[in-house]
Amino acid sequence: MAPGEKIKAKIKKNLPVTGPQAPTIKELMQWYCLNTNTHGCRRIVVSRGRLRRLLWILFTLTAVALIFWQCALLIFSFYTVSVSIKVHFQKLDFPAVTICNINPYKYSMVRDLLADLEQETRAALKSLYGFSEIKSRKRREAESWSTAWEGIRPKFLNLVPLLAFDQDEKDKARDFFTGQKRKVSGSVIHKASNFMQVHESKQVVGFQLCPNDTSDCATYTFSSGVNAIQEWYKLHYMNIMAQVPLEKKINMSYSAEELLVTCFFDGMSCDGRNFTLFHHPMYGNCYTFNNRRNETILSTSLGGSEYGLQVILYIDEEEYNPFFVSSTGAKVIVHRQDEYPFIEDVGTEIETAMATSIGMHLTESFKLSEPYSQCTEDGSDVPITNIYDAAYSLQICLHSCFQTKMVEKCGCAQYSQPLPPAANYCNYQQHPNWMYCYYQLHQAFVQEELGCQSVCREACSFKEWTLTTSLAQWPSVVSEKWLLPVLTWDQGQQINKKLNKTDLAKLLIFYKDLNQRSIMESPANSIEMLLSNFGGQLGLWMSCSVVCVIEIIEVFFIDALSIIARRQWQKAKEWWARRQAPPCPEAPPSPRGQDNPALNIDDDLPTFTSALHLPPAPGIQVPGTPPPRYNTLRLERAFSNQLTDTQVLDKP
Amino acid sequence: MRRVKKYLLKGLHRLQKGPGYTYKELLVWYCDNTNTHGPKRIICEGPKKKAMWFLLTLLFAALVCWQWGVFIQTYLSWEVSVSLSVGFKTMDFPAVTICNASPFQYSKVKHLLKDLDDLMKAVLERILAPETSHVNATRALNFTIWNHTPLVLIDERNPNHPIVLDLFDNNHTGSANSSLTPGKICNAQGCKMAMRLCSINGTMCTFRNFTSAAQAVTEWYALQATNIFSQVPQQELVRMGYLAERMILACLFGAEPCSYRNFTSIFYPDYGNCYIFNWGMTEKALPSANPGTEFGLKLILDIGQEDYVPFLTSTAGARLMLHEQRSYPFIRDEGIYAMSGTETSIGVLVDKLQRKGEPYSRCTMNGSDVPVQNLYSDYNTTYSIQSCLRSCFQEHMIHNCSCGHYLYPLPHGEKYCNNQDFPDWAYCYSDLQMSVAQRETCISMCKESCNDTQYKMTISMADWPSEASEDWIFHVLSQERDQSTNITLSRKGIVKLNIYFQEFNYRTIEESAANNIVWLLSNLGGQFGFWMGGSVLCLIEFAEIIIDFVWITIIKLVAFAKSLRQRQAQADYAGPPPTVAELVEAHTNFGFQPDTASQRPNTGAYLDEQTLPIPGTPPPNYDSLRLQPLDVIESDGEGDAI
Repeated sequence: MAPGEKIKAKIKKNLPVTGPQAPTIKELMQWYCLNTNTHGCRRIVVSRGRLRRLLWILFTLTAVALIFWQCALLIFSFYTVSVSIKVHFQKLDFPAVTICNINPYKYSMVRDLLADLEQETRAALKSLYGFSEIKSRKRREAESWSTAWEGIRPKFLNLVPLLAFDQDEKDKARDFFTGQKRKVSGSVIHKASNFMQVHESKQVVGFQLCPNDTSDCATYTFSSGVNAIQEWYKLHYMNIMAQVPLEKKINMSYSAEELLVTCFFDGMSCDGRNFTLFHHPMYGNCYTFNNRRNETILSTSLGGSEYGLQVILYIDEEEYNPFFVSSTGAKVIVHRQDEYPFIEDVGTEIETAMATSIGMHLTESFKLSEPYSQCTEDGSDVPITNIYDAAYSLQICLHSCFQTKMVEKCGCAQYSQPLPPAANYCNYQQHPNWMYCYYQLHQAFVQEELGCQSVCREACSFKEWTLTTSLAQWPSVVSEKWLLPVLTWDQGQQINKKLNKTDLAKLLIFYKDLNQRSIMESPANSIEMLLSNFGGQLGLWMSCSVVCVIEIIEVFFIDALSIIARRQWQKAKEWWARRQAPPCPEAPPSPRGQDNPALNIDDDLPTFTSALHLPPAPGIQVPGTPPPRYNTLRLERAFSNQLTDTQVLDKP
Repeated sequence: MRRVKKYLLKGLHRLQKGPGYTYKELLVWYCDNTNTHGPKRIICEGPKKKAMWFLLTLLFAALVCWQWGVFIQTYLSWEVSVSLSVGFKTMDFPAVTICNASPFQYSKVKHLLKDLDDLMKAVLERILAPETSHVNATRALNFTIWNHTPLVLIDERNPNHPIVLDLFDNNHTGSANSSLTPGKICNAQGCKMAMRLCSINGTMCTFRNFTSAAQAVTEWYALQATNIFSQVPQQELVRMGYLAERMILACLFGAEPCSYRNFTSIFYPDYGNCYIFNWGMTEKALPSANPGTEFGLKLILDIGQEDYVPFLTSTAGARLMLHEQRSYPFIRDEGIYAMSGTETSIGVLVDKLQRKGEPYSRCTMNGSDVPVQNLYSDYNTTYSIQSCLRSCFQEHMIHNCSCGHYLYPLPHGEKYCNNQDFPDWAYCYSDLQMSVAQRETCISMCKESCNDTQYKMTISMADWPSEASEDWIFHVLSQERDQSTNITLSRKGIVKLNIYFQEFNYRTIEESAANNIVWLLSNLGGQFGFWMGGSVLCLIEFAEIIIDFVWITIIKLVAFAKSLRQRQAQADYAGPPPTVAELVEAHTNFGFQPDTASQRPNTGAYLDEQTLPIPGTPPPNYDSLRLQPLDVIESDGEGDAI
């Protein structure tokens, strides 16, 4: 026990002043600097000489500043991500594969609907380019139409006239139909052509879109007549098709049995029943493999072409629409089951009389959503309603946004995208100037004036299939002889003709290997890391810790404030006392009277009060001092006692 | 012995001379002198603050422990971070494997396939035009092949009662339908083609259904051809395939001319003779130091499309694949086609993924820890997951069907499947091939390799040769190959290939440990510093205090035991029982130690001596007084020892 007592006594001697009892701020600071755990402060107090002290103050302040700076950097870089790439070798889900014929509808079926349009297109070709010869054997009968056309009043050319412009004088245009010159006002938008200039003339072809009042016309010119005619045809085509009900359109297009001659997946035969119909406005009937609702998704457990999907497609070139599509083949897109196939945007084209082998690699990406990046998990927080029957994607959002704006501005919906609720597709009968409106809106959309691009955000997770496409001749010269008759037999009643190799295309889609790469983002910092980095910084510069922070709060805020408050209270008290004093200047002598027995106790105290350096008069002057005042007096005494003590101790 | 004991005791004594003699002293001393920030405040504050600081310190200590736990857990989860580098550097040009889509030259294998081809032709006739060909179809056909695995038509017009019709309804069907030709009553809509696969003696049969006749006959033919080729020795097969000097017409690597002699030949059952450029097996791999077509590999091939086996392959073209040096090319899975009559340009980007092995990710460095025997090790190639999967399949095949499949290498002492020796192999094989369980066991047994290299290709095509240059190109190439002035080449057979590095030719993703030991220590230090301002030295201090604690406890216990014994032994002494401190002194004092047993009377006297002045002195005084002489004794003891 004895050594313990001794040590305790020693400690008591060594640590005489406890924080808040320090009488003045200066002493509090001195006490703090001497006793704090942070380095630096002590040096300031202990150092001799002004220069050294100044230097130490500078050092300490620099260290504090550095800590703040570094910690701020740490906080600002908190929401960063680290990326990890993982490779799994496993059974992979086969993606959904959507296959479309490039030609949407059988021309023999839609011809009745498009008869007038075809006539007028031919007439336009004849008068603009002098084209009248029809080489295609199948369309020979059309010739009789074009000759018989003279008497029919053109309806489409009146609505949107095709014009030939003189390159030199842009404001003069010749209406090819009437032949008269027109004055062209409004903006002229020149579309660059992908094709070579067809002929040498300085004329450019275009068309004019006018709203009802025809005062503000927009003119679209094309450097090549091919583009001009196709665009013009497309406009009218969409207009006509928008009025045809969906069932009729599906009937006019190809059936699964027609399109798919053979189908083979993972060593097993498959047929049209394994495909689901998906009607695309611009591509007609498309068929999606491995997308059946309420059925398990097919998967592949081996890589290589024989374990993937092998189909032979029948592409009947004779049923192609001559003006709407100018290429032959099919389009294929690989996508997720719940994803909408944007076949017009990102499809791969397949050539006829060829085997197209598409090897896939699967890459999955996962991004972190808010606050790490701007992506969205499921699109529910994007203020655009999804008009597609599919999971959210950036593409869907942009198209939905445009369609919604279209309905808002033009009053009708654009044909190539799904219908929003309570809207109709545009056609001339109901919306006479939708084309002008559409073109204006489209320009605005492309130039990001509609705000769609800023509202739509990318999805956080997506699967991507990297495709390696290669072509080979199919069928080979020697196998062609037996293969084509067998395939013809297979098609049986679907078509009553002998198959030609240019009517067929073979498609192989398979996983090259079953390695799936996942690119995953994970937070680079956790709260533990942040704290430990703080700790590292604090420790490096000042050997400080949370305890020091608490100390600082205690000393600088609580203690210092309490000292100041005490001072102020004291001053207020004094002031109050002084104010009270004048009305009774006679007061001091009276309490000295020995008749007050209560003051006898105070008589012992003057020795202490003298040490207070306080004017004894006011204290004594108040005879009927209330208890609070007495209290403060006592406090003061306690401090001064301790103060002297510390001063004595500090000196040695 | 005695000296050692003495020495030990001295050491213990020294150790015991710690900062205090009681728990409280020790604690107070520790709190006052430790470098951790909290404890100091506990002892130097008022009672309320003391409690608060005590709680705070405890809280911080708990936080530190928790966070340390989190960090250690993170460290033990073996996370990896990846670094990506993209650019151009001089790299080894990839190995290029080139095959022809047809495995054999038809002119050379005709004698082997004669029976099968006749049968196939008859089948096709039967399907397509039943009436006309029926009479002469039954000429000299070899029905032994047919009877083994026949093609049948299944009439499904009545879904409850499907009728199975043999295509050649000679004597063995024997039913009422035999007089009818199947093609007559069936067309593609009503009937399905199927392959009948029977086990031994035809008791167990399954039908493999096809929705299209084209598929059915192709599959059937391939199965039969496999059977035929598996009985032919490999040297023979190599001779029947396309030879390098006929196939590879021109070769140019960068500015260096090369020829078919620079290619390593490998026999691949699917595609016959394949030729590998720059495989790196015998000589060093060739590097390419520049991007672009001019510095890559340029090849002109003749695939000889006219000589294709007509029923075996319907696709015509060259098959090629880029792969790493010393790896086996699985061209069936990863190969691409190059079309005849075109120039195919392939820009290459090497996409490499280098992973750390266990415990970071589940992959294998060289395949030695995979429980599947690598059958491709005969080729002296590196491990890959494809080789593992194929070896695994062959293992299953041998286990289930007791013969190996023709497409995969054979383990020692096994034979390839054929109809003569293993009559039910086709049934067994088709069963195994369709089995999902088999594939899944193989997938779970095989591990991916840690280094995964993919060659990303940008493929573009153009017509070649152009119409204007066609004549002279064919002439020159024909003369070079055949030394004849006749043109033996045609647009249908010629393939041009350009393989070169892209402007950025590598993309390397490398894994490194995300959390190493330095990371762990700096974070542990950071946490400890952040909450308590502590360091490793503080931990050592703490350990020291604990040791002191234990030591004090031991001393106290020993003293207590001793006091009990003494009380028993010296019950007759009139003096008060010795205090604990006193006993401790007695116990720890080195000088006293050996004497306790022998010089008991002496200690007794000493105690007596001590007890004498007690009566008049107050307790505190007494304590301090007692300290004085003890110190003297202590020093005496030390002096003795020295």
